[in-house]
Amino acid sequence: MQASRARLFKEYKEVQREKVADPDIQLVCDDSNIFKWTALIKGPSETPYEGGVFQLAFSVPEQYPLQPPQVRFLTKIFHPNVHFKTGEICLDILKNAWSPAWTLQSVCRAIIALMAHPEPDSPLNCDSGNLLRSGDVRGFQSMAKMYTRLAAMPKKGRIFST
Amino acid sequence: MDSEDDMHDANDAESLDDDFYSGETAMDSDDGDAADYEFIDNDSDDSDDLLSRRSQQNYTILNEADIHLRQEDDIMKISSILSISHVAAAILLRHYNWSVSKVNDEWFADEEKVRRVVGLLEEPRALPNVKELTCGICFEVYPCDSMSSAACGHPFCVTCWKGYISTSINDGPGCLTLRCPDPSCGAAVGQDMIVSMVSHDDAEKYQRYFLRSFVEDNRKTKWCPAPGCDYAVDFIVGGGTFDVTCGCSYSFCWNCTEEAHRPVDCDTVSKWIMKNSAESENMNWILANSKPCPKCKRPIEKNQGCMHITCTPPCKFEFCWLCLGAWSDHGERTGGFYACNRYEAAKQEGVYDDTEKRREMAKNSLERYTHYYERWATNQSSRQKALADLQQMQSTHLEKLSDKQCQPESQLKFITEAWLQIVECRRVLKWTYAYGYYLPEREHAKRQFFEYLQGEAESGLERLHQCAEKELQTHLNVESPSKDFNEFRMKLAGLTSVTRNYFENLVRALENGLSDVDGHGGSSRTGGARTLGAGSSKSRSSRSKGAARSSSGSRATDDSGQHWSCEYCTFANAKSATVCQMCQQRR
Repeated sequence: MQASRARLFKEYKEVQREKVADPDIQLVCDDSNIFKWTALIKGPSETPYEGGVFQLAFSVPEQYPLQPPQVRFLTKIFHPNVHFKTGEICLDILKNAWSPAWTLQSVCRAIIALMAHPEPDSPLNCDSGNLLRSGDVRGFQSMAKMYTRLAAMPKKGRIFST
Repeated sequence: MDSEDDMHDANDAESLDDDFYSGETAMDSDDGDAADYEFIDNDSDDSDDLLSRRSQQNYTILNEADIHLRQEDDIMKISSILSISHVAAAILLRHYNWSVSKVNDEWFADEEKVRRVVGLLEEPRALPNVKELTCGICFEVYPCDSMSSAACGHPFCVTCWKGYISTSINDGPGCLTLRCPDPSCGAAVGQDMIVSMVSHDDAEKYQRYFLRSFVEDNRKTKWCPAPGCDYAVDFIVGGGTFDVTCGCSYSFCWNCTEEAHRPVDCDTVSKWIMKNSAESENMNWILANSKPCPKCKRPIEKNQGCMHITCTPPCKFEFCWLCLGAWSDHGERTGGFYACNRYEAAKQEGVYDDTEKRREMAKNSLERYTHYYERWATNQSSRQKALADLQQMQSTHLEKLSDKQCQPESQLKFITEAWLQIVECRRVLKWTYAYGYYLPEREHAKRQFFEYLQGEAESGLERLHQCAEKELQTHLNVESPSKDFNEFRMKLAGLTSVTRNYFENLVRALENGLSDVDGHGGSSRTGGARTLGAGSSKSRSSRSKGAARSSSGSRATDDSGQHWSCEYCTFANAKSATVCQMCQQRR
């Protein structure tokens, strides 16, 4: 408990310093609970998510950093490795490939990388995965773009799937 | 060396087993019982065959110490061949599933690639030479001497290392392939570092995984599947059967790790087991634990080994548990023979008639399955019972018998042998019913031949089981030594050896797929034809060897017009004969 708190506090201070350094990621710690974080990440350019801002919710276990944090999308997103309803993310570093040397910040970076490089062979969103697997890149992109517009464009109000 | 000793032990156990068979032959000769003697003589080449087959054991039983030793040996071997550290050799071997040759091949083909894949650095890097370092996990700053790293030199504090390693150990055997926590670094964390960092309990857990990996990831070894057994079996694939007997005395098939099922193959067994679990709900009501006495209709629960049931007084009806027919019909004097394995025959006799006519095909198949399942299960429980009896025999009865009959216990070995034979036979017999279920209906000749062999084997076993169970009781319950004890000895030993031969023949015939029925010329060969001979010389010991010989010869031209097939036992008799040579029924 103490170790995870100390570590999270260090990450918190780091985030305050790095805020300007990484404009794509904005990590915010919950006011009352250091084990709850949210993040706003920018959709990577040259992807259907470009222009969108996606909100992530972090739930950090007491064994952190020996155990990975639980992360899910709060913003609806059409992506093969994200559950369309719950926002759950299928990413190896959040499961068995976790290393305690990862930070919340680096997890965000990994999620951005996942958005740019979906892995349709292990899909949580089968419709999305099937579009890519059948080679219908255009179909996938237009669907993803539509949901980005609907849910992740800052000015048009967000749909939260809470 | 320890392991050699243990190997000797294993061999000793095996040779004891051999003695059990060869000793029996000797005993039979002592008895001088003419018929049985002739029988043994007749088949002596077979028992040699059997001996040689048993002696070439193609597996080794390993206890924990043996496994350790072998593991250590392999690690040392790799360590010296590749001139790498003990720890590195262990990491390499584990990665290549403990195959020494694979490690060698891969290493010498492309050492650099192997190093990269496995995470072994050529030159270990020391910690950066500064006063203070930041731990990559808790981000605290520590003096250099309280930091630690794998061969890659990525610094983490000791507390974080401990947490990292023990989390990994408690997550399962994945801890055997632990890498440096730095995500970009694949350096393997060695066993020495792991063991030195964690608590005693975790270290022990790690060592267990390490040992288990040697057995489980190794293609040549498997754990004995018996509950609570800690032995592993090292098997040399190729030649011989898959049946192995573990040091805990459990016999299992090395290939499928089901219980030993020779002569039935693994596919049939797995199909059968699947079927049993699928049908088990239906079976529950079909196979109640009791059957009504066919005469007085009182429910009877079978709690003894053999199929010969005697209802309690006043009824006292003696009947066969399987077909519920009178036991007197099962004897030889009536000229019939033990036919309970014959589903077809039972149907013809009308046992299944009423139901058969009314029910449709689906139910028909269930009936058929029930028939085989019931016999399979009955033999299974008989075997369990026999095992328990054997244990009781060895623990109490033998001593008591020795006192009562004034016989040294060493001279009562024949009883233990009889029971061992019963246990083994029940196992074989059980699996023949799975075999029978899957033997295609259309293969008529094979079916008949199979059922004949099975019937003979079963009747032999029933005789043996009854003798060992019931007659022994009478000798146990006397006040003074019984006069006919020697007769009993002769009878039981004789039955044991005869039954063993029946079963060896049955096993052989099934293992070669009842091929004696296929090739007409081939029938002069072994198994089946010999079984017929053997069967006849036992069940009607008065008949000569010559008759048995000629009968096996006559099978060669089975379907020509010169023979007639006995409708009771299917034996093909010479046209001139009016009485079946095999079962002596009239034509």
